[in-house]
Amino acid sequence: MAATGKVLVVIGLFLLPVLTYGDTCLAPHVKSQTYSTPEAIVSTETVLIVEFTVTCKNGLKNINLYADIGGRTLPATKTSEANKYQISITDEHKKLPSGSYNLRIFDEEGFAALRKAQRSGESTDSLKPLFTITMSHPGIWSGPMVQSEFVAAMSAIVVWWLAYTARSKLLA
Amino acid sequence: MAGGKQNKLSREEELLLQDFSRNVSTKSSALFYGNALIVSAIPMWLFWRIHQMDLYQSAIIFIIGTIVSTYFVAMAYRNVKFILKHKIALKREDAVAKEMMKKLADDKRMTKKEKDERVLWKKNEVADYEATTFSIFYNNSLYLVLLIVASFYILKNFNPVLNYGCSVASAAGLLALFSTSSKA
Amino acid sequence: MKLWVSALLLTVGCFLPSFGEEESEARLLVSKNILNQYLVEGKDLTVDYKIFNVGSRVAFDVRLKDSSFPESSFSTVSGNLQVSWERIAPNSNVSHAVILRPLKSGYFNFTSAELSYLLSEDATERTVGYTSFPGEGGIVPEREFDRRFSPHVLDWLVFAFMTLPSLGIPFLLWYSSKSRYDPAKAKRN
Repeated sequence: MAATGKVLVVIGLFLLPVLTYGDTCLAPHVKSQTYSTPEAIVSTETVLIVEFTVTCKNGLKNINLYADIGGRTLPATKTSEANKYQISITDEHKKLPSGSYNLRIFDEEGFAALRKAQRSGESTDSLKPLFTITMSHPGIWSGPMVQSEFVAAMSAIVVWWLAYTARSKLLA
Repeated sequence: MAGGKQNKLSREEELLLQDFSRNVSTKSSALFYGNALIVSAIPMWLFWRIHQMDLYQSAIIFIIGTIVSTYFVAMAYRNVKFILKHKIALKREDAVAKEMMKKLADDKRMTKKEKDERVLWKKNEVADYEATTFSIFYNNSLYLVLLIVASFYILKNFNPVLNYGCSVASAAGLLALFSTSSKA
Repeated sequence: MKLWVSALLLTVGCFLPSFGEEESEARLLVSKNILNQYLVEGKDLTVDYKIFNVGSRVAFDVRLKDSSFPESSFSTVSGNLQVSWERIAPNSNVSHAVILRPLKSGYFNFTSAELSYLLSEDATERTVGYTSFPGEGGIVPEREFDRRFSPHVLDWLVFAFMTLPSLGIPFLLWYSSKSRYDPAKAKRN
């Protein structure tokens, strides 16, 4: 009996990693699509959107994912399509400047580790995310610096002023 | 010099006519109207491309606007030219005389009177040419200023058709007005 | 920021299910806002949703569904109109954004989206609520917008090119004559 018990424990030990691997997405294949607010008239705040579809090698579905973007952590929103997620970040134009953004995506386990590290004030850089998505935000276009008609009016006035001084000289 | 006296006298007459009336010869009149038409047609581009007026739908107002504007712009050309011509003639007098005298110095067959007439004729020609070209330049530049300021600032929020009508009419009208009033 | 706080206050009225009771369960407030400065036909329309859990418990299986944008009038550029979250912790918030593109101009009444959630993990009855509604907005036709806001750089350059001969030619003709007779006078002075 004792022997069989030991055998079971050994078998159990062998099975453990397999069981825990059961909730982890293996070799995720990610397809992503990004959007960022292109110009100020379209939005008073900058919006970054990342939509991605995850396919796990072990066929895992409907897992909960979390994203970490430069210290902000937020849950990935699930969409009506299976395995398709969306992450939206909305903030003032100044707080989301142009550049590239790294989205580190964690699963439940990774997220727990991340929260723990954040609570204890440790650096989260060493934590290995499930995968990383990089998006670039080309920046917001807030309209031309000067209006074309202003430039046109000014040039016309300059030409006319030159003409006017020449005329005054001729009439003097 | 083959033409003789007959020719010169008529030229002198012509010169006097040109000098003391606002009437211009057909050639310079055509020049004025041609230029006025070109500059009056330019606003159509702005209103078509930038104020988004339909070229075909607004054809009638465009044609009327261009014709009215051409008339007033040509009038402004004439008035400014008239004012300028005498002043320019006075300014260029000596230089033209000097140049002509140098040119005619070798010609021994010409009498003093004939030479004076030639100088006078040349003076008129130079003054006329300068006054004409300068008047076109000056009025065109002023027309464009008035047009841009009217259509893009003063009448900015009007509907495009009204904007076109008012800005072209006011630019051309003011141009004609300024050309008659200001002597300084 | 202030805007959507006030929007939130308005929304409070929309969520009466547990109003007045002890706050011993999850309670979600949602704001829906259009972030555009101008609504323009064919240009991005930014819709922003913010969900707050003002209750004291976790809200489970939170579903947001916005069916107020008919396909005939709007196309989706980015984001999803039907989304869900596994859980929203008390005193936390999540935000969601959708980018649409208006296909038609004219007035459009932006109404509210629907939100439903479970008060506990094994609850069978879904709690339903609605977002704030942004209200009526005028979508400007592309042409009209273009007329007022496009810089038209190319059109102005062509304009400059067109005006150049009518200014340049008379000026050069006048200037050549002037410089021919003027320097002589200047020399004498």
